[in-house]
Amino acid sequence: MVLDTLSSMKHGIIAILPLAAGAAVYGFAFGLLAAQVGFPWWGVALMSSFVHAGSSQIVAVEQFAGSSAVIGAALAGAALNLRYIGIVASLSDVLSGLSLRAKLIVIHITGDENWALTMSERAKNPEVGAAFLIGSGLVMISVWTASTTFGAVVGAALPNLEKFGLGFAFTAAFIAMARGLWRGPSNSGPWLVSFVVTVAIVLLGMPKAYAIVAGSVCGLAASYLMKTQRKLPA
Amino acid sequence: MTFPFWMLIAVLAVAAFSIRVLGLLAGESIKSSRHSWMLDDLPGLIVVSLVASSLAGQPVGTWLAAGVAFFIAYVTNHVIWTMCAGVAAYAGLVWFGF
Repeated sequence: MVLDTLSSMKHGIIAILPLAAGAAVYGFAFGLLAAQVGFPWWGVALMSSFVHAGSSQIVAVEQFAGSSAVIGAALAGAALNLRYIGIVASLSDVLSGLSLRAKLIVIHITGDENWALTMSERAKNPEVGAAFLIGSGLVMISVWTASTTFGAVVGAALPNLEKFGLGFAFTAAFIAMARGLWRGPSNSGPWLVSFVVTVAIVLLGMPKAYAIVAGSVCGLAASYLMKTQRKLPA
Repeated sequence: MTFPFWMLIAVLAVAAFSIRVLGLLAGESIKSSRHSWMLDDLPGLIVVSLVASSLAGQPVGTWLAAGVAFFIAYVTNHVIWTMCAGVAAYAGLVWFGF
């Protein structure tokens, strides 16, 4: 049992490494930004380990740099993280069986990448569960904290790695994860609604994080309508 | 580090964690309700939205690279292979000026 858990955790640690490499680049860039605003390297490390929310941290620090309004900056950053209500809610089965303390630790180390990878792997193999999520989550929070701190310490510019497709690696990874989560034709309608609504909202100029929440909620509404239609008698 | 810096870290940490705890509570209550189907549907919908948000407003080359990644994902159902093919396609398209 313990060996199975360790083996699954190790599986999670190895599987997340390519995604962690991509996150490290963004972490470095954020550390650089935070250092320019006036955060010491240990302040950046503190924030990354206790907040562990990339987009929220970036927005909060940008807002703080512009206005120095602490509450406004923190709330603007936190609002970008609203999708985590859905992300953590969807982990209900994965986390069942863990103590409350363990659940609270696990939800803190859960990020977009290790959550999506866990759900995708779980769709292929139901044995994949909390241990995989924890292993991959520990790697992600460690890499995020280390890379943001390194960015704040070094303070030098990286070459534009985005140009070589590093940023696109996340998109490709999420496409693969969507493939793993595909349940069949009944997904097509809600997924199309989610996709179109998200694209439309981004094109309207809203922040991506809000578009993700709105797209997911509209997809859920479409799914509900389709399920209701199927139940109606002919 | 002055007081406002400490405050920003503290407030952001509390807010970010509160959102996660809200998700935990929502998950427990949804799981035991007649809407438990939402927990099955949510992961796919969020991942699709993540893909859509990263493609919206991007040039044709990015959409073509996403098409290549989609094809490889469909055939292999493997994250690493899809990432490698997607990044290679993206870099190649940038190289050719897309």
